[in-house]
Amino acid sequence: MKFIQHKRSKEVEKWLRQEETEQKRRYRKIVAEQDALTPKRDKWIADFLYRIQTRGVHVHYNQMRKVAPEEIPVKPKRKFKVVF
Amino acid sequence: MARPHIEPFVDRDVPFKKMTLPGFPKGMHYKMLSLDTDDGACTMTCLFEPGYRQPPGMSYTEYELFIMSGYIKIGEKVWGPGSYFFVPAGVAIEELTSPRGATGLIFYNYGEPSFVESTSDHKQAERDRFAAVNSYDDMQWTSTNFFPATAPGCMVKVLRFDPRTQGFTFLYCMTPNFWQDNISYHDCCEEAYHIWGTSWMMQFGDLPTGGYFWRPPYINHGAFASKLGILAIGRTDTQLYNHFHFNPWTNIEENRDRAANRMLQWKPDLYKWINTHGHNHPVDFEYDHGHAHGDMPHHHGDGAVEHKHKKKRRHR
Repeated sequence: MKFIQHKRSKEVEKWLRQEETEQKRRYRKIVAEQDALTPKRDKWIADFLYRIQTRGVHVHYNQMRKVAPEEIPVKPKRKFKVVF
Repeated sequence: MARPHIEPFVDRDVPFKKMTLPGFPKGMHYKMLSLDTDDGACTMTCLFEPGYRQPPGMSYTEYELFIMSGYIKIGEKVWGPGSYFFVPAGVAIEELTSPRGATGLIFYNYGEPSFVESTSDHKQAERDRFAAVNSYDDMQWTSTNFFPATAPGCMVKVLRFDPRTQGFTFLYCMTPNFWQDNISYHDCCEEAYHIWGTSWMMQFGDLPTGGYFWRPPYINHGAFASKLGILAIGRTDTQLYNHFHFNPWTNIEENRDRAANRMLQWKPDLYKWINTHGHNHPVDFEYDHGHAHGDMPHHHGDGAVEHKHKKKRRHR
């Protein structure tokens, strides 16, 4: 039994609404912080794409393979985001 | 589950709040980490004040409790850091006290936090599913045993495994200088909390002690690294499969599409059956609540896979 049906009190409903409001605020803050991280992230991605050509990409556990230059993906023109 | 993508969030940045929900005794404080806005399920950091006393009682939802610092007593038994409890809905636990205070994590899995004073189980409670273990002292680290697996240096202790959904709760660690150069996503929701240490992910940067994420399915994460190592607790809601790749710019739709195509390659017969059967309502003969009750998500060949019927009254 994962959940037992019961009637929620008004106090509980109010508490949930407050927490939902705070969560929305928290989410917006995260999105803003992650947007601000874009220049650093672009550098991390460039470093990653270099490493997987030279040291390799992890395929399984300690198994790695080097990625050929023609396999390296090209950044699409659409907006890039990491928080959904 | 309707929780937004919360990643990263560091609970050290916010103060504790008093737990004021009806039924809970004074002396419990919390920080909300993530909340399901549909059913009230949530994950919280919690603090029990010195002298905290909670009478015997139960919750309407199953929950998991993990002690991070200090200790609690349940009945006469003392539970210190690393103690983990899985408490099914309606199972009454003995008096919980914390003479000197404690901090932990609470996961309310299917409904809002609730506490009802009671010395006996609810009639629907499944006590045999109750579990308690000190994961630091009584369990050992193992390799992840997934295929494909995370890189060497990431190890787990599985605290709970749901055989039906294959969702699980686990401690995990990364050794100092851990690194894994690929990008991963999963078909499941995943959440984690850093008990100690800092790790890095290419999308989100550093996740320090007190760092938390709730990540819906098909969201890219990785590459990964940790300079000094970490200790963390994680959970999934269903089976965790590592869909590895190296394209930093794929989105949720592309990742899901790839996962579906992989299912087609791995289980072509099942995939075909799912897509062609007129009234797709698979029944697991090992479990109740199948087709006979009509209350499980299914579709009628129209792709509306969350479709449900109200429970039908049985005619005698």
